[in-house]
Formats: sequence, structure tokens, C-alpha cells
Amino acid sequence: MGTDHIRNFSIVAHIDHGKSTLADRFLQLTGAVSERDMKEQMLDGMDLERERGITIKASAVTMKYVHEGKEYMLNLIDTPGHVDFHYEVSRALAACEGALLVVDASQGVEAQTVANAYLATEAGAEILGVINKVDLPAAQPDVVAEEIEHVLGIRKNECFAISAKTGLGVAELLDAIVTLLPPPADKANEPPAALIFDSHCDEYRGVICYVRLFAGSLRVRQRIRLMRSGRTYTISELGKFTPEMTSVDALGVGEVGYVIANIRQLADVTIGDTITDDAAPAATALPGYVPPMQMVFSDFYPGNNTDYPKLRAAFDKLTLNDASFSFVPQSSPALGFGFRCGFLGLLHMEIIQERLERENDVDVVQTAPTVSYEVVTTSGQVKRVDSPSELPDPQKIAELREPFVRLEIITTNESIGPLMKLAESRRCKLVKTDYLSPTRVMLEYKAPLAEIVYDFYDVLKGISHGYATMDYEFLAFEKSNLVRIDILVNKTAVDALSIIVHRDKAAERGRRMIIRLRKAIPRHQFEIPLQVAIGGKIIARETIKAYRKDVTAKLYGGDVTRKMKVLKRQKEGKKRMKSIGSVQIPQEAFMSVLDTGE
Amino acid sequence: MKNGVSLYVHVPFCEHKCAYCGFYSEPVDAHNVELLVDALLTELHRYELQDPIRTVYLGGGSPTCLGRQYLMQLVEALAAQAPEAEEFTVEANPGQVDADLLTALRRAGVNRLSIGAQSFIESEVRFLGRGHNVHDTKQAVHHARAAGFENISLDLIFAIPNSTMSSWKKSLAAALSHDVQHISAYALTLEGGTALQSAIAVGEIVSIDEETDRQMYDIGIETLAQAGYGQYEISNFAKPGFECRHNLRYWANEPFIGIGPSAASFYRGRRTTNIADVRAYVDGINAGTPMLVDAQVPGEIQVACETAVLNLRRMEGIDLEHFREQTGYDAAELFAGEIEEHRKAGLLKVADGHIRLTRQAFAIADRVLSDFSTV
Repeated sequence: MGTDHIRNFSIVAHIDHGKSTLADRFLQLTGAVSERDMKEQMLDGMDLERERGITIKASAVTMKYVHEGKEYMLNLIDTPGHVDFHYEVSRALAACEGALLVVDASQGVEAQTVANAYLATEAGAEILGVINKVDLPAAQPDVVAEEIEHVLGIRKNECFAISAKTGLGVAELLDAIVTLLPPPADKANEPPAALIFDSHCDEYRGVICYVRLFAGSLRVRQRIRLMRSGRTYTISELGKFTPEMTSVDALGVGEVGYVIANIRQLADVTIGDTITDDAAPAATALPGYVPPMQMVFSDFYPGNNTDYPKLRAAFDKLTLNDASFSFVPQSSPALGFGFRCGFLGLLHMEIIQERLERENDVDVVQTAPTVSYEVVTTSGQVKRVDSPSELPDPQKIAELREPFVRLEIITTNESIGPLMKLAESRRCKLVKTDYLSPTRVMLEYKAPLAEIVYDFYDVLKGISHGYATMDYEFLAFEKSNLVRIDILVNKTAVDALSIIVHRDKAAERGRRMIIRLRKAIPRHQFEIPLQVAIGGKIIARETIKAYRKDVTAKLYGGDVTRKMKVLKRQKEGKKRMKSIGSVQIPQEAFMSVLDTGE
Repeated sequence: MKNGVSLYVHVPFCEHKCAYCGFYSEPVDAHNVELLVDALLTELHRYELQDPIRTVYLGGGSPTCLGRQYLMQLVEALAAQAPEAEEFTVEANPGQVDADLLTALRRAGVNRLSIGAQSFIESEVRFLGRGHNVHDTKQAVHHARAAGFENISLDLIFAIPNSTMSSWKKSLAAALSHDVQHISAYALTLEGGTALQSAIAVGEIVSIDEETDRQMYDIGIETLAQAGYGQYEISNFAKPGFECRHNLRYWANEPFIGIGPSAASFYRGRRTTNIADVRAYVDGINAGTPMLVDAQVPGEIQVACETAVLNLRRMEGIDLEHFREQTGYDAAELFAGEIEEHRKAGLLKVADGHIRLTRQAFAIADRVLSDFSTV
């Protein structure tokens, strides 16, 4: 039957440029979803995604479209829109021949537009430039088309001006997908090779693999093999997302769909693995994916030690649906037993936190997020350190390396000054300046991840009045002049408060930390010294004064009920704190480490 | 109830409201005093008490602002109801008592007078918004003694904004010069909704810092001890044998009946609080059902916690044997963790069958007591 009638494509865009709305419009125009069943942003499956307006997991949908009397099968593979999930965008693009790069007609090219364009080019996808929201009063399609041509090299007269909201130009875009994007290569006669580009775990059916067939075909009851893991299974169901799951007897070359094969756990499937026939396998596996690198780490401890098993169960559940999140047991002298968790980035961490709270009733104490470091020991070993407490003694460290990223910021002319100042204060080195238009500029920096991972984006948004956008990509670990700051509370080092920072900023950062701690830790009946130490040397000190008076002057019969309530509240407050030595430290104190001072 | 009950009567009237006062009171001239006095007595009769009234305390507000006729009517009726009372206290506002009234009170059976001196520094008394001056206080003590009162208490307040260590010492010395039997020394408490609290909130008035407050408290304890007044509770001091029996019964968590608007009761295992509104209170009593804003029967554990919190305010602390008889719990077991924590920190001591706050714990007692408020 050939592959001429198949088009596989993704939509990539900066956040809020209308990717999901366009997908919705496609679903409607192709009749995949009736007007009546349409809910906004069909493809965003989890509540959390719809609420935050972010697509976290890629999903796929198959549509029928008739062009010049011929029926085509369009497979849209959706992609997430946030920097933390770049790798998922790459994964989706690897399963496509084409990509629609959507740009908001009033916002113009943004940092993630650029990053997405790079990813699409790297994946070898044919790119169609799409200028969306042209119906808005503030739309400047011509200016934006110039930017697209200038920055991305897509000719301005080849861009499609549309409004996903009103439907303007969307039919023409569907035609262009058919006429301009290439069909998949026809390798129908080769042994099957299906790329697993995503998976999720269904409570009742086990693991559902999202696949794209690059060669051959798959059919129900076929004995298959996962080429990388070597495991074998029997296909129990094949199907397509239309967008609801619709089972089929076979998936042919070039097609996109799902495979269910009695796979129990998500961990049994590696995204990027190739499914082939067990008896007559493909000669080589498809090029897989580089596994996503976890860049941000944070410790989670149960608020109450007896909740440890509950927290463990909650994390187990979370990893079922998110293989890019990891956790390992960890114990801290200060905080007891907990878990060190790895995330792709800050947003990823926040999403996990929210799901933890929403789906599980566990109180957690969380330590400040930190990046991963590389240590070269004096004996020449190189090891990764994800927690300041794992850092060896200073005498045993030959070199400390931290992760650097390529940081792209697009902003308006007015905010360049303050923005450059911010970047400089965060140890970012300017690599390139590129004017997109007379009023907008793209700055490329080489930046230490640790400096931008926490609040850089918020500060950036603030100083640019919301106009600046940023994106980053990991470059390499490089040598840096780093030191560990230890915080001593009442003369006891609290490991959960240690951080690794650049030496030039150590003293100032440490001082700010103890000032925040002074406010966060309630007074005790004794004076509590707070100290900042670097390698055993105290460099700053603050004191939490003892409380001297806390007693109800008058307590007679009439006040008993009221007073008991007040006293009980006081006791409840104490319960929510972590006891370190004889000092009670409230949970929020552990986050005081994050204060960078802007 | 082998120990009988105590009776508190709340007169919710004042000539005017003091800047710091958080008790329920209303201007006396806006109300029909007679209606209230009738209602108070009606409420008392409703209880149909079988148990003897051991102590009577008439407070407020300012009972003495009722005027001689109604005050005496009330006092005489209360005295008739409490023939076995060993202590009958009336709170007296120094600006509202004269020799005749005090003599009448004494004759009617009142045997203890609590005089609201507050301070012997003129500017401080004025600051507190009291309707009296220092001379009035001196006169009141003099007349009380002349009327035959042999158990007189003075209320003092320290840590008043703008007061100093030296003004506090002067005030204490002046109080001691009257050689009364009992002194209550209260740190000024900022109550929500008072004029003083809002003045401090907006920065018009600066409150005394915590360290000075603490030092004033310590000086007070020391000075009073030297003059022969033993501290028997966080804010209360007495010459031997003159501890306030009525208040001791509160701290022992013994039953009491409180009548009047806003008054609380703990009687036959039930805690209730009357509505804090004179007219609503009177209407309720006259309709045959007192209006309550709160009523609960605390569980056994709750009673044990309340008892522990109240007991620990006393110098005597928790008497383990008595506590067990009263609540059914072994306090040392029930609060084992709490006791251990605070004992290690030097805030509690356990000796000869008692758990007591240490001397240094008094100033920060709520930190300890809060841990006994629930288990």
C-alpha cells in the first residue's frame, strides 16, 4: 500500500504561542473530534497539565484528511513546551518527517522557538513556519516573518499566517502538510523496526508503548523482542489514538500507534528501544535516544519519620508514569531517613512536588535544589556529586567541575542593560549578540547551570517586564572555583543546609542565608548562634536571641478554654519542626538556602 | 461534691473602659443596673445548688460602680446564699469606694478586698486610663483597714509603656508601705481589640521590650519575697496564710460557677460560657434559658491536661497523688516525654511527689505549659 498517504509531524512552539489550540483545530477539521466532544486542549491528559497550560508528556493522534480526492493519514505527535522537557521534544521529532514551528504573531520569535528549531533541524525534520494569532490587534505578521527568516532561515514568504483560534488558514496548513512534508520511507518489506518514543502505564492494561514504525509491520499476537533489553513479549493489542484508543489488527510501515504486550512495569521499557520480530529480527536497532540527564537534585524527608514507607510508596507510584524522575534512599544526620531525588530541571521538580502533595497525603521537608557536580580526586578519579554532603574533604579534591549551559535570551532593547548586569552577577559569559529586529535582540551566554536553575527566569521576567524569554541546553562540566558552605546551628553543622557555591560569592551568600535563617527559626529558651563556615573556618555569624518572657499574666477560671486552645496551637506548631540537637527548625528554614538576594 | 463549689459573679459595668482592659464591660450609665442585679440572682438560683459555696468573688468590670444600693443588695443576697463561704472577695476601684461603703461591705460578710491600684506612679495610672489617682488608692486602703478588713490585696501592673525599672521599684515600694496581705503583680498584657493594642500597632505607643519586662518581673519577685510575700502563683504573692483561696481553687481545677454576662463555669463536668452582652444575657435569664456562647464536656484526657496546665502555674505544681485522685491519670506517665524534655532543659523539676516549674521557668511558663495542653 506504500507510505505516500502518511505524514508524520510535530508541532513545536514557545509556551503559549498556541500549539495546543492548533492541535485542537486540526482534530476538529479532520473530524477526529466532534464539536460537541471538544474540550480545550484535548491532548493534555493530566489535570495538572491543563491547569498549568503546559504539555508534559508527548502524546500522539492519528487523523484522516482528504486532499484532492485522496485520503491521507496524518499522525500528529504532540510535544512538551518547556525547557526541562527538551529531550521529549527530540524524542517526538525523531519519530517525524516534519515539524510545524508555531510563532505568535504579536510575540515574535522567542528563546524556545529558537531551541525548538535547532532540535527539529538536528532531527532532520522538514520545518514549516507558522505565524499564529494573526487575528489579534497586536499581530505583526510581517515583522515576525522577518524575524523567522533572519533567525531561523525559513523564508518569510513561505510562512503560513493562521489563527488557530478562529480557524483562519488552518485548512491551507493541512493541505501544506500533505503537499510539503515528505512521506515516510517505504521499507514495508524489511523486518519490523518500531521506535518506542514514549510510554505510559495504565493501571489495568500495563505498559502502553507509543511507537513509530520505520520498517515492516506489526500485528496482533506477534511474538516481539525489545532489541536493547532483549526481552520478548506477545502483542495483545495494537491501536491508534484517534484520539481515543482504537484497536487495529496491524500497524504498517510509517504508521504511528500503540503496542500493548503484557509489559508490567514502565521500568521494563526503555524509551528509544526498537521493537522487532522475535523470530525474524531487524539487523540493527534504530538509533535510540541519549537518556535525559538529571540536572537538579533535592532531598525529600518525611515530616514525620514514621511516614517514610508512605513517602517511598508515593515515589514508587510517581516513577510509574515518569521514568525521568529518580529517587534513592538517603539518610541525613540532621533530617533522618529520606530520599535524594533527581529531576530534569526546576519545573520538573515542581511538577513532582505538586503531584506528591495532590495525590498523596504526606508532609515532606524538602531541601534546596542543587545541581550535579563533578569531582576529580587527588587520586585521579572522576565522580559525580549530587549533594553537597557527598563532597570529599577539600584535601582530597584536585578539581571541582560544575555544569555549564548554552543560555539563549531574547529580549527587547530597553531591558538589555539590566539583563546584562543580571547575567554578569550570575557569572554568565556573553558569547554572541544578534539583533532579530531593530527592537529585539538575542543574547547567547555560556552560563553555570547552578546560577540560572533556581530563580533566574523569574528575575529575568521581572526586569524585562515579562518580555524576555530564555532557554538553555547543557554544554559540559568545567572546572570552577567552588567551595562548600556549611551552616552551623548552635555549633552543629546541619548537612541539609550546606551548599556549593563559587568562592567569590561564598561569603555574601552565606551571610544572607543565616540572616534568613535567623528569621525562620523561632527563638528558643537559649541563645542560638548561627555560623557560616568554609572548610572549618567561620566566616560569618548571627545570633537568635533567647526568648525571655512568654507567660500569660492572668489565668483564672474564665479563660481556661480559650487559653487551652492557644497553648495547643503552640504545641502543634512545634510538631511541624525538625529537631536538630536541641534546636527546633521549621521546614521553611531549609528553603532559606535558596535566597540569592535579587 | 465534697469540696463544694466557688462562685464568681461578673459585673460587666465600668464608669469607663481602661485602655488595656480586655474583659467584657460596658458603660454603667447606659444600662438599667437593677435589671442586671435581678438577673444575676435569678441565674444563681437556677443552679439549685446542693453543694456548699466555699468562696465568693465579685469582680468585673467594676462591681463598685453599681452604686451603694445595688451593690449592697447584691452582696447581701450572695452572702445569704453562701453562709459557709470561707472567703468573700469584692474587687474595689479606688475611685469608687468610701469609708461608709467599705464598712457596709465588711458588715455584710465581705472579708477580702481586692483593690485595683495598678500603679503608684501618677503618670502610669493616668496612662492606663483609670478613673482614679494614687491618692484615691491610699485612701481606699486606709478606709478598708478602718472598716475592719484584715485581708486586703493590691493589684499592680508592670511593663507599662514609658515605665522604667526605677518607676516600677517605686511603685512596689509604695505598695509595700501599706503592708497589705496580698499583692498580684501582672505584666501588662496586650489584649486584642483594646485601645492600647491599636495604639501600639500603629506605632503611637512603644511597648516595653521583652528583656526589661523580664527584669521587672524578676525584681518584683525578689522585692516581694524580701518583704515577706511568698510567690504562690505566676503573678500572685501573699503573706503566709493569705493566699487567695478562690483563685487557688481555679488552679486546682475545682468546680466553680460563674454568673453574669461573659462569665464561665465549670460545674458537674461541663464548661460553659455566658454570652458577653448585657441585654442578651438579661433576656435569656428572664426567658428561663441562659444564652451560652460555648458549652462542652471535656473528656477525661482533656480534663487531665487542663488540670496539669493550671496546676503548674502554682508554686506547688502538680501534686502527683492528688492529680491521680482527681483525674485518674498518673501525670508522670501521661506527660513522661514532656517532663523529660523540660527537666533536661532545666525548666521542670520533679521532687517529693510534685512536678514544679523551676524558678527560671516562671517567666517563660507558656512554652512549658503548651506541651501539657494536649497529649
